[in-house]
Amino acid sequence: MTAAYTVMLFALGASTGVVGAMLGLGGGVFLVPLLTLALGVPIRAAVAASLVCVIATASASATVNLNRGLVNLRLGLVLEVATSVGGLAGGLVAARLSTHQLFLIFALVMTAMGLVMMRRSGQRNVIADATLDPGLLGGRLREGETIYVYHVRRLGVGLGSSLAAGGISGLLGLGGGIIKVPVLNSFCGVPIRVAAATSTFMIGVTAAASAMIYFSRGDMLLPLTAAVALGALPGSLLGARLSGRVEARSLKILMACVLLAVGARMGWEGLWR
Amino acid sequence: MALIRGRSHAGRHDPQLAGPSRLDRLVEAVLTGGLALSALLLLGGLLSGRPRLLWLGVLVLLLTPVARVVVVTCGLLLRRDWVFAAVSLWILGVLTFSFYVAWHVEAPRARPSRASAAEKR
Repeated sequence: MTAAYTVMLFALGASTGVVGAMLGLGGGVFLVPLLTLALGVPIRAAVAASLVCVIATASASATVNLNRGLVNLRLGLVLEVATSVGGLAGGLVAARLSTHQLFLIFALVMTAMGLVMMRRSGQRNVIADATLDPGLLGGRLREGETIYVYHVRRLGVGLGSSLAAGGISGLLGLGGGIIKVPVLNSFCGVPIRVAAATSTFMIGVTAAASAMIYFSRGDMLLPLTAAVALGALPGSLLGARLSGRVEARSLKILMACVLLAVGARMGWEGLWR
Repeated sequence: MALIRGRSHAGRHDPQLAGPSRLDRLVEAVLTGGLALSALLLLGGLLSGRPRLLWLGVLVLLLTPVARVVVVTCGLLLRRDWVFAAVSLWILGVLTFSFYVAWHVEAPRARPSRASAAEKR
C-alpha cells in the first residue's frame, strides 16, 4: 500500500466520519460504494472496513455527544433490543428475497422517508418548558440558554424501524442509522440532534457484532481498514462538534437529501443491475 | 463505584441542567481510552508495517463498544434499575453470542477454504 493510497483512504474515512457523526449514520452507505466502485476493493473487504469505520465513528462521536447530554441512553437501549433481534432475523429474510427485491424495497423506504423529512423540516419536536415531565423514555436538551423537553411517541414505530434497521444492517452491511434517525425524528417526536446522537451511540454495538465475524474469518484487509478507521476518528469528532453549530432545520434538509440520493442509487441497483 | 452511583438516573438528562449523568462520564472515559489505545496501535502498525499491531488495533476497536455495554450494565445494576439493566444484559448476551459464533463457527469454517486455496496456488 503506497503512502498516497493510504492518505486517500484516510481522507475517505475522515469525510465519512464527518457526515456520519453529523447525521447519526455509520457511513456505510457512502463508504461501501466508494471503496468497491471507485477503488476496486472486494465487496467483503469493503463491508468489513465499513463496519470498523462505523464503530470508530460511533465511539468517537459518542464521547462528544455524551458530554453534551445529547444521548438518550434509555431509548437507545430499548431500540437496541429490536435492532439485535432484527440483525439475527436478517439472515433468515435474506434467503427469501432476491438482491433486486432488497434494493427496491430499500429504495422505496429511503425515498418515502426523504420526502417526509423534507416536508417536516420546519417543524420542531420540542417544548420550551423545562418543568414538564419528559416521561420514562423522553428527555431534556439544552440549546443556548433554553432547556427543551421532548416526549417519545409511537414507540412501536420506533421499535419496528429498529428491527428493520437491524435486518438491513445484516443484509447490506450498513449501520442502520439511515432508517432509525428519520423515523425517530419524523414519527417518534425525538429532536434530530438527540436522534442522531442516540443512533450513533447504538450502531457501534450492532456493527461490532457483525464486524467480529469478518475479523475472525480473516476477511479484513488490515492496512486498508486501519487507514479508513484512523481517518474516521478525527472526522467523526469534527462532525459531532459541527452538528451542535448547525441549525436543526439544515440537518433535516441534509438528511433528506442523503435519503433521496441513497434511495435513487438503490433504485438504480435494483432495476438495472 | 461511587462514581457510578450518581444522584441522577443513568442516561436521563439531569432534570435541571440537561447535562450528562455520572455514568455518561464514565462511559465517555471508557470510549476515549479504547479509541486512544486502538489509534496508537493502528498508527504504529501502519508506520512500522507490522500486521500484528494492526490486528491488535482492530481488535481493541471492536471490543470498545463491548466494554461500553459492560460498564452501562454494571452501572444500571448498581443503581437497581432492574428493567433497563435487564435490557442491557440482553444486548450483552446478543454480543457474546455473536462473538461465540464468529470464533467457534465462522472462523473454523473459513480455515479449510483458505488452506485449499493456498494448496491450489
